[in-house]
Amino acid sequence: MELVVASSSIDGGIGCWNLQTGAEQLRYKSCASPPHGLVCVGGRFIASSQLRDTSASSGSVLYWSWSKPQVEVKSFPAEQIKPLAANREGTYVVGGGSSGSIYLWEVVSGRLLKKWHAHYRAVTCLVFSDDDSLLISGSEDGGVKVWSLLMTFDAYSIQQASTPYMHSFSEHTLCVTDVVAGYGSVNAIIVSASHDRTCKVWSLSKGKLLRNVVFPSIINAIALDPGERVFYAGGRDGKIYVAALSAESTFNNSYGLHIIGAFSNHSNAVTCLAYGTTGNLLISGSEDGMVRVWDARTHNIVRMFKHAKGPVNNILVVRQQFYNNFHINPNMQVSSRRHGSLLPPPLEKYDNSTDGDADFKAVIGLQPTCSESMDAFYQSSHVINNQIKELQQQGSAAAEMERERLKLDCKRFMQMVQQWKTMYENLHEFCVNELLEGDQAGGCNGNSA
Amino acid sequence: MAPSKASSKKQQKRGIDFKKIKRKIGRKLPPPNNATNTEIKSKAIILPEQSVATEKTGLAVNKKGLTLKELLQQTSHHNAKVRKDALLGIKDLLHTYPAELSLHKYAVIEKLRERIGDDDKLVRETLYQLLKSVVFPACKEDNQGIFISLLMTYIFKAMTHLAIDVRLMAFKFFDLVVQHYPHSFFLYAEKVLQNYEDILRKNQHYLQDKGKLKIALSGLVRCLSMLPCNQEEVDSCEKKDAGQRVLHAFETEVPTESSGFSIIIPKLKDLLPVLVSCFQEFIPTAQTFPSFDGQSFDCMLCILQSIDLSIRFYIYVTSENKQESQASHGGLDATMWTETITTFLLKKLLVMFPLNPVNQFSEKGDDRYFTLNTVFTEIFLHLCEWICPPDVLLERFLDFIESALLGKICSGTRSGKAIEEKHLLLLLPFIPKLVSQVATEWKFRLLQAFTKKFEDCNPESSLKLAFVSTIEKMLIPREDMLYLDASALDLLDHQIAWIRQLPLLLIQLGDKHPSSSQVVLHLQLKLGQCSLLNPSLMWGYDNMQHLLQKFYIICSDDGNICYGPFVRLARDSQELALCCLYYFSYLEPLLLKSISLCCLCPDMDPLIVYRILEILHSTYKAGRIQIADCISFFITLLSRFRVFPENSYPDENRDAKISNRGIFKSITSIVCSSMLQMGDKNLVFRILENILLAQIVLKPPLDNVCAMLRVLITLDSTPTRLSQQSITTLGNFLSEYLIDVVGCISKDEDTDSIHSSACRYYFIPCFFLFDRSHVLLNLVLRMFASIVSCNGGQYATNPSSTVGAIVSVLLFMHKDVRIGQIISSFKEDVDSILQNIICLQSSEEISLTLEERHKVQCAMSQLESVICGTEKGKKVSF
Repeated sequence: MELVVASSSIDGGIGCWNLQTGAEQLRYKSCASPPHGLVCVGGRFIASSQLRDTSASSGSVLYWSWSKPQVEVKSFPAEQIKPLAANREGTYVVGGGSSGSIYLWEVVSGRLLKKWHAHYRAVTCLVFSDDDSLLISGSEDGGVKVWSLLMTFDAYSIQQASTPYMHSFSEHTLCVTDVVAGYGSVNAIIVSASHDRTCKVWSLSKGKLLRNVVFPSIINAIALDPGERVFYAGGRDGKIYVAALSAESTFNNSYGLHIIGAFSNHSNAVTCLAYGTTGNLLISGSEDGMVRVWDARTHNIVRMFKHAKGPVNNILVVRQQFYNNFHINPNMQVSSRRHGSLLPPPLEKYDNSTDGDADFKAVIGLQPTCSESMDAFYQSSHVINNQIKELQQQGSAAAEMERERLKLDCKRFMQMVQQWKTMYENLHEFCVNELLEGDQAGGCNGNSA
Repeated sequence: MAPSKASSKKQQKRGIDFKKIKRKIGRKLPPPNNATNTEIKSKAIILPEQSVATEKTGLAVNKKGLTLKELLQQTSHHNAKVRKDALLGIKDLLHTYPAELSLHKYAVIEKLRERIGDDDKLVRETLYQLLKSVVFPACKEDNQGIFISLLMTYIFKAMTHLAIDVRLMAFKFFDLVVQHYPHSFFLYAEKVLQNYEDILRKNQHYLQDKGKLKIALSGLVRCLSMLPCNQEEVDSCEKKDAGQRVLHAFETEVPTESSGFSIIIPKLKDLLPVLVSCFQEFIPTAQTFPSFDGQSFDCMLCILQSIDLSIRFYIYVTSENKQESQASHGGLDATMWTETITTFLLKKLLVMFPLNPVNQFSEKGDDRYFTLNTVFTEIFLHLCEWICPPDVLLERFLDFIESALLGKICSGTRSGKAIEEKHLLLLLPFIPKLVSQVATEWKFRLLQAFTKKFEDCNPESSLKLAFVSTIEKMLIPREDMLYLDASALDLLDHQIAWIRQLPLLLIQLGDKHPSSSQVVLHLQLKLGQCSLLNPSLMWGYDNMQHLLQKFYIICSDDGNICYGPFVRLARDSQELALCCLYYFSYLEPLLLKSISLCCLCPDMDPLIVYRILEILHSTYKAGRIQIADCISFFITLLSRFRVFPENSYPDENRDAKISNRGIFKSITSIVCSSMLQMGDKNLVFRILENILLAQIVLKPPLDNVCAMLRVLITLDSTPTRLSQQSITTLGNFLSEYLIDVVGCISKDEDTDSIHSSACRYYFIPCFFLFDRSHVLLNLVLRMFASIVSCNGGQYATNPSSTVGAIVSVLLFMHKDVRIGQIISSFKEDVDSILQNIICLQSSEEISLTLEERHKVQCAMSQLESVICGTEKGKKVSF
């Protein structure tokens, strides 16, 4: 099931629609998110940073589980968090503060693992590269920086390197509105859009500007075509521009260099764009509160969802398994027992790493089933330690019962294996006989002919 | 024979007439009359060709008719004069037939190169001229490798020639090659440097011939200056080519020079001591002469520059190596050498600093010493990257830098000033590093001098630009150097002073120096981006606003607006200036006012006006403009923008050049969409309602009214939220507005369709209002009725056209589907208008001409038919 999740800067909740059928799902309540402030953490739950009064000393980040419309977990980081991002497995959540700092939390424990000063002004967007090894941040001061997550945890390599980041691109003159990363981790291209009316294409491997596309209007959002042939840029003038990446672009057209075309049905500014995971669908949100689904090839509107009165400023496309019985991690159980819900604890406000920095290292998580992807599941040793402790504390009775059950299972499976073995042998014999007889028959035929 | 004949004649004559002629001894006899002239006279016969057999028509020949082949043969003639003439001939030939060269390039070069080591001075000089003016420029784009290697063998041969003259000339040739094929130096660096070393070792032989030595040395400087010496420069070169190429393309192959570096380094090691000793030899000559002569000065300068360049290169290579691999095999060796070379330089060379003139009174000499001292300083400062210099020496140099900045050293003459500027340019890049390293007292003194010079120097000079980029380094925080720690209070004062200078500089630069303005604006932008770091920096940045006003508008008293440089700058600079606005923590109304006046300037590029609106909107969104200021900016723009030509409404597509109506329309739509995004629609509407109405009632031109009505309807919703009072005001106003629109637009009736579309643009906002408030429509209809009535107000002067206008407004309303429906519910009002028209027709008070009467009649019948039509339609629908 492919879901479209949308939120707005004005409290209209989080809208949720099935992309295939167009049916509206649960509407999660009380959410006023800034742009890029909505994120789906590992497919397990939705998290969103909240717009608050500038006077408020702390920001807020809220969690919703898929099954309940109410806010389940509230956390209050030290300052207002605007953009929020999570890696694909949902191990980490990264938030960008209005002072230009970036916060990195571990989801399962809620620990603030790292906080560092990244930009001169507020961070406006945060994106992980496709292999989750790099974090790309854009800021109000026009800077785009690329951080290697490995390096942020390696104090030695930070000391060695001349800069704490991998690349810093400062060619934008105004606030960066959106950044998207292409495929290929460190060799990928990234595209950034800014209030200076340009989109710039950068190469991560070379660390330099590849292309500068000047648009007729401010670009609020960009979406990358899966083949990286073109990218779509949603403008403040209500048009969605198609700009060439590897596609051929004609030099004399009405919009400018590298811009192939534009389509529009928005009376108002396009505020966010997303690309569907299945089907060639482009999803756009607009200032008037509508979410439109376009066929990316024909540029026709396929569906429209009415979200809210205010501008839609976040759209996510989530592929969801049946969330009612999604698999529960052992550690999730642990935390849920503590909080009475299926969600992890709130994010910590400060980095209280005083307790045992020494044993703080990443551990590859235990893979619960083999059917899942082979991606490693990183957790801090701290969490694993807790988990082991809790396992040990669990009474022996339960363990005993579990063992009995497993023994029974084992016996049953052994029987089954035996059964299958005999069945296979019979079948084999039968086949061999058949073949031999067939040969003989064929030989007879040949002789008779 | 002649005399004997004469004597026989005499005898004969004697015989005939016996006249005796006395001849004196020693006198010459007159020639006899019949003497045969035996003199042989000859004239030179010039044969254009030597052999009759060779047919030269169609071949390229020079003035003397020699072909290239013959000329080339003559270049190896044993007579020097012939060789020289042959070279001149070749030059002449190739000038007239450039194609010859491209055909026989290698043949020519193979022959010519033999002359590089020629014994005769004139021949070499001619060859040099030939290569320089003809051969090299023509062979620029060809395969350079072979060409150079052909030449180089002979150049090297000449470099080891016995005669000093030939040797020096060979360096000159090499210099020429390098000028045209810069890459060739890297191919032959080792050998060339070796040769330089050899020749400089024997300097005592030709210290007399300084002119030649100077040429050779300047060649060395040129070669060394090609070595990369600065990481930033290399990077910036690479960055520049981010052009229009295909996105995922292979890099074009660039020959890498770094492979040759490992050979160059040891050669430079050997060369440095030689250079230093050579310099030392010059010192006594320089000081014994009463005035410092030009040639030895040039030589000394070249030597110092070579030393400087080789040190810079060495620093570059070592830092590169450091980046690449920590433990490279040559690492230890390199550090050893570093030690030795620095101590050597410190002891031998830098102790000579500062060179002081013996004779105090020569101005030129002063400037020369200043020049040399600057290069000394450069060398020293480069060395400082490696070592911590002894304090005494450091103080000497710092003292020099300070007095250079204060302008104490150079003579006051114009040339002196020029030299001073040129050399300060070289010193400025070191200031940031020095400031961050030296002790507090010196830091203070340096900054003081720096700031003073910055404020004093001519804004249009390149020195000012260099100052700006140095300031950028000290203002904008970077990874390697942090200046903005709060403890550096003394630095902060200077920073604030520099920031204050920026807007003044912008205004001084005006629109004459667009590139300089751009650099300053760029710095301003960067400053804005990082200004949040430090509150006092923020304060400094915000304070620029007062001064910046003059950048937009110089003065605006009593309606006479004097625009600042902003209006006339190029578009990219204008954009930069606008981007700076985004970073002020609070944009002040006064600055906004100046900007709005700029927007109203008729010369402004419309694209920039749109951009201003966009950026101000972004700034507002970021919370840095107060809502009241933002609204008043928009309203000012809408109400005071003058559309020209005012009252002609030609085809929209045609009018882009002549009229700016199209521009105003797009401004209106941009303003409308910004207003929508300002915040809660209802609140913004509440704020705007009264302001807009107050402006509308003042009766500005139609276009402005239309724009403001459009803003009103964008923010309004159905049903209307206009207050009762404003509806009444609007009711009175709109009737006149509608009549004016029709009056202005439909002057001629032949192009009807265009006019109706033009009218529609003005009517649409009214129709929206009518749709949302039927009361308003009712009011307007009543107003119409009262205008038409016999004692109508101002429109009574020309009743027929007024009637015509009202009727066409009503027709328009009927054509519109929604308004048509609404209007049919106000039948009695329309009827009363009709009644009034009839009354007008029959009235005695107003006299109408026949034509007017006809017009009124026509209008009336049109109206009647439309009304009947709608009624019929109604009946059918019932």
